[in-house]
Amino acid sequence: MQIPIEWYLILSSALFIIGAAGVLLRRNLFIILLSVELMMNAVNINLVGFSRFHETLIGQNFVLFTMAVAAAEAAVGLAIVTALYRNKRTLMIDLFNTMKG
Amino acid sequence: MAEKILFIIFGVLAIGGALMTITRKNVIHGLIALVFTFINVAMIYLVTQAYFLAVAQILVYAGAILVLFTFVIMFLDLREFREMEQFYPWQKYLVAILAPIALAEFIAVVVTASWIPTQQGITPEMLAEIGGNTWGVGVSLFENMLLPFEVASLILVAAMVGAVIMARKETTPNVALRAWAPADGPQPGQLEQEV
Repeated sequence: MQIPIEWYLILSSALFIIGAAGVLLRRNLFIILLSVELMMNAVNINLVGFSRFHETLIGQNFVLFTMAVAAAEAAVGLAIVTALYRNKRTLMIDLFNTMKG
Repeated sequence: MAEKILFIIFGVLAIGGALMTITRKNVIHGLIALVFTFINVAMIYLVTQAYFLAVAQILVYAGAILVLFTFVIMFLDLREFREMEQFYPWQKYLVAILAPIALAEFIAVVVTASWIPTQQGITPEMLAEIGGNTWGVGVSLFENMLLPFEVASLILVAAMVGAVIMARKETTPNVALRAWAPADGPQPGQLEQEV
């Protein structure tokens, strides 16, 4: 009995929406980075589900690349967090208003 | 049938962990909830017979990336922020309304679309035929995606060098960086002694 493809899509869209809500909702820079990781994971579930659906392993290769990009993103993001904290002494993102954006 | 039951259990646990992640006030609690979510996603990969990815998920995500997050949280002293308001005051109600609507749209599209199964999907027998999931992923990776594989290593090197340069302690005073430092904040020399 195979798991239908819709289930993967529903699970991944639920995780993606939760991650997007976390990005929009929270003021803490750390939680925003965590939510971005969550959204990447949701996309990975999609890729794995379709990889099984189409009987090809290329989708699983894509997940490997996503993991590499996620590792790079986490390293650079945390370096930026460290530099920001050293300069501003806070991680609340609405206090980062130097550029008046 | 057992597959479906396991998928539902792990999927519900993953969504619960994700909700915990974005609602906890303490960053460490959110981090632990995210580790829980990632492990459940790895279990879903196992149910899908993506064995290599399940192990890579636990090693890379739950192991490496989130331990990196934990280290940075331990370096920074975040206790003072826990008392502050963590959510945007009125936007949170907007998100609480809009996010379920967006999710309902996603689900409506997914359910009403007609997925034509041209094939049966990957079965354990097929995996055994090509020599296992890890073998298949490796062969597919090096036959179809050798150049992207090398480019991924380049991305990782660039990210590591960039992270080291951005996060290191400045030994020489950098005028360009100091120009936008807050005037009322602590002074740069004093900061370096503390950090």
